[in-house]
Amino acid sequence: MKKTILILLIAVFILSGRVLAQTATTSASDEKDIKAFKEKIANVIKKNDKAFSGTVTLNDGNIIKIKNGDNIVYEVKLDKELTKYFRISSASKKEIKADDILNNDYIIITGVLTDKSITANSIFIDESYIAGSGRISEVDKDNYSIKIVNSAKETFTLEVETYTKEFILNVKTLEIERTGFSKIKEGDYAHFIVKRGIDVKDNKYSAQKILIIPQEYFIK
Amino acid sequence: MKKETIIAVVFGIALGGVLGLFLINKNKETQLTKNKVIAPSNAPNKTLLTDSNIQNLEISSPQDGIVVDGNSVKITGKAEVNSLIIIQSPVKDLSFKINKLNFSVDLPLALGENVIKIVVYPSNKNQNPQEKDLKVYYLDSQL
Repeated sequence: MKKTILILLIAVFILSGRVLAQTATTSASDEKDIKAFKEKIANVIKKNDKAFSGTVTLNDGNIIKIKNGDNIVYEVKLDKELTKYFRISSASKKEIKADDILNNDYIIITGVLTDKSITANSIFIDESYIAGSGRISEVDKDNYSIKIVNSAKETFTLEVETYTKEFILNVKTLEIERTGFSKIKEGDYAHFIVKRGIDVKDNKYSAQKILIIPQEYFIK
Repeated sequence: MKKETIIAVVFGIALGGVLGLFLINKNKETQLTKNKVIAPSNAPNKTLLTDSNIQNLEISSPQDGIVVDGNSVKITGKAEVNSLIIIQSPVKDLSFKINKLNFSVDLPLALGENVIKIVVYPSNKNQNPQEKDLKVYYLDSQL
């Protein structure tokens, strides 16, 4: 009898040990799975790390509406607890409030896009620039302005201001050098940076920066 | 000469003349048709061959609209060999000629939105420039 009880006890002990070992193995593999799953999610989020930008057309405190460069309207959902707001000024940013975002401000939004609705994590007020290029069709030496026709046949009138940075490509060295308005000729190619403004009419801008590719480059 | 013989000779000459004129006209038509076919069929073939040889501008990175947490970005892509590449942003202008198909260059970024225009002027000056626009956002990684 004693022998039978002893055998039974040993059998129960061995079986319970196996079960415990299996549980421990399962929980270890579960942890590995969870870790791999978390890494996958993190990678997906990193891959989809995109931002959206546009001009504010409405801010009612809960929702901001923006219109992007292609005139597509997006609805930006704000979360009172989570969404953070900043104003970018040159190389720094300053935290602001949702109410500081006004109509016609240009904003950048990070968050999750669903259809045409963005759940905002952060919103930044920033300056907006346009980069363009084309052939110079007219140089107005009296008014310090030039007309540029781009590949889509759009005409831009650029006013060259005292603050405009003017550069030219050296056709021999292909280095970019400083230049002046007198060196700009009709027929040259021009690359330019202008500030996007709300009161811009007929594609007329004050140039921030101009880079000239002289027509001599295309002749040599 | 008998009357019948004269009629036969005249009839024979007339028939020969008509047949000769018919053959000359037919030959001209055949020549014209052949010339018309040859001229246009060669022209488009030449154009197609030239177009297929052009390497279009391709940007492999960065993606348009991407957020980065560093103050510079590496621009990599493909363009035609020996073409002049101009990259312009509000922060920096770059110009360089490529001697192989692939190119890679670092561009500094400003905090916030960076509009970047990449234009390729092909070595064949008769070809039109190619261009691509990108927006890269340099924002704080903790946000």
